[in-house]
Amino acid sequence: MSVARCQHATGAVEVKRSLRLSRSDEHGRFPDALPLIENLLTEMSEAGQWPMTLTMRANLILEELVLNTLTHGDTSGLTEVSIDLESESHSLAIRLADDGSPFNPLADAPEPDLALPLNERPIGGLGVYLVRTMGEELEYRRDGNRNHLKLVVRPES
Amino acid sequence: MRFNHERSGDTLVVSASGRVDGSNASDFLDSLQGLFDPGDQRIILDLGGLEYISSAGLRVLLMAAQNLDKQQKSFSICSLTEAVGDVFRISGFDQIINVFPSVEDAKQG
Repeated sequence: MSVARCQHATGAVEVKRSLRLSRSDEHGRFPDALPLIENLLTEMSEAGQWPMTLTMRANLILEELVLNTLTHGDTSGLTEVSIDLESESHSLAIRLADDGSPFNPLADAPEPDLALPLNERPIGGLGVYLVRTMGEELEYRRDGNRNHLKLVVRPES
Repeated sequence: MRFNHERSGDTLVVSASGRVDGSNASDFLDSLQGLFDPGDQRIILDLGGLEYISSAGLRVLLMAAQNLDKQQKSFSICSLTEAVGDVFRISGFDQIINVFPSVEDAKQG
């Protein structure tokens, strides 16, 4: 995990962190990603004095995307998920990369119908939609055998 | 996650606090459904202490809301924190589940 901090004259604190998840135990399993993500964001949000909604949106986006990569589809070829975070004032830039099967969260997940009444709402299918709605400036590219996703999170959009 | 509950007449108020994510959502569902009694006609879920919810937690709330609706029981949620309210708004859950500012409002609603 790398750490860099920079205090500006304005009082805004830039915080950078990285997290690499790989098949690290003797059974070739990934570590439990959610506590690692939560701890990383708690630490960054304290250093950067983020509003609560920014921390929660960032946590939700990372949970949805990382769990999707680790558990959906064919994960046999997946060896690493990397997360790079860089906060500036009250926004957070997220860069995610993995060597799993191609998955473009901007195009490969159906749009949920939010107008359906309670009993017709399907269970599930909201995770990627929440990411697309809470995230801004989303960019996906498949480069060689890797998925790359960039996005920006702000406390309100 | 931590739970408290209080029953008065046919009204059950369940308070849930902490975080609900992909790691504990199925425990959340089991705990919640374990508290329901056949005699409960009105269930109020107080989420005032819930700091975080992801789509895994929303799935549980939707399952609970649909099950209770099929049994013609009243289900409402109250006291959302800012972060959880944000997720409710974006997912449209505030349009399909009755959401109240406080337990008192939910009891009167």
